[in-house]
Amino acid sequence: MFNAVFNVPSAEPMDIRWFYNKYAAMLLGYINGIVQDHQKAEDQMAFILTSFAKEFNVQESNNLNIWFQLRQYAQRKLAAQTIPMCIEPRQTKNLEVLSELEKEIFCAVYYSGKSIAYLAVTLKKNEDEIRNQLRLSVDKMRRVRGN
Amino acid sequence: MEIKEIINSGLLETYVMGVATAEETAQVLLLKKQSPEFGDALDQLEYDMELLAQGMAIEPPSGLFKKIEDEVNEIQLRERGLTNRPYYEDFEKDSQDKNTRERYIEVESESNQMRIHKAWRWVFAAVFILGKIFLATAIYFYLESKQAKEQLEMLKTEMRQIKAENR
Repeated sequence: MFNAVFNVPSAEPMDIRWFYNKYAAMLLGYINGIVQDHQKAEDQMAFILTSFAKEFNVQESNNLNIWFQLRQYAQRKLAAQTIPMCIEPRQTKNLEVLSELEKEIFCAVYYSGKSIAYLAVTLKKNEDEIRNQLRLSVDKMRRVRGN
Repeated sequence: MEIKEIINSGLLETYVMGVATAEETAQVLLLKKQSPEFGDALDQLEYDMELLAQGMAIEPPSGLFKKIEDEVNEIQLRERGLTNRPYYEDFEKDSQDKNTRERYIEVESESNQMRIHKAWRWVFAAVFILGKIFLATAIYFYLESKQAKEQLEMLKTEMRQIKAENR
């Protein structure tokens, strides 16, 4: 009724509720892994989901995975707040199958968006090895989940 | 390099994690078009990463959506300039005012006028009349005083003349 009165377009297939129902929990889990503060994560999730839903273009993004785009969007927005360590208990529970090195590489890439070249220099390894460790960490987690 | 080798090189993971270089991204997009096997592997990895994120998901508190919805509605209304008027009224008014806005520069100004109650006009009239009366009275007494001084001077002169004659 509210929307009809003020002539606001009715809910599109991908309106804010659609994004919320599908991605809010995943995004909150992801942001919580970055900011390591539940209240901050909730605030940031609300802000990021709202702005992403507003900027999201269905036509332009037809062939791209929405979660992939949303995660990258959140990563860019939170670039200044990243903590490149997997210390949150809920997160470590999901990452416990990884070795320390795999965990370090996965978290630096997944949560902090660190480049392969940066990690190669920081960890004193070559880029191929970093890529391989990243692939192994993803493979391990996929296997654990039965994918 | 064979497709399987490329798939196992970690290039897909780098791309899906969003840390691929421009060159790597271009390579992935090209291979996706050229090789169905590569495309399938990429889709599968993206799907698996979504499942992984679902596994790490944290259920948001129940009132959070209402908060977001209110904020979105507020932003939408602010952007559309809707306060209490229907949309078509805004449209008509906008089109009428468009030319005026283009020709004039809006400046903030302050009025030099003041508004007072009508009853004050009787007070101002009374003040004006009383002013005139005081002015007339002042002129009258001034002339009276001047005349009295002249008469006094004349009397003094006469007295001096009488005194001189008596001597």
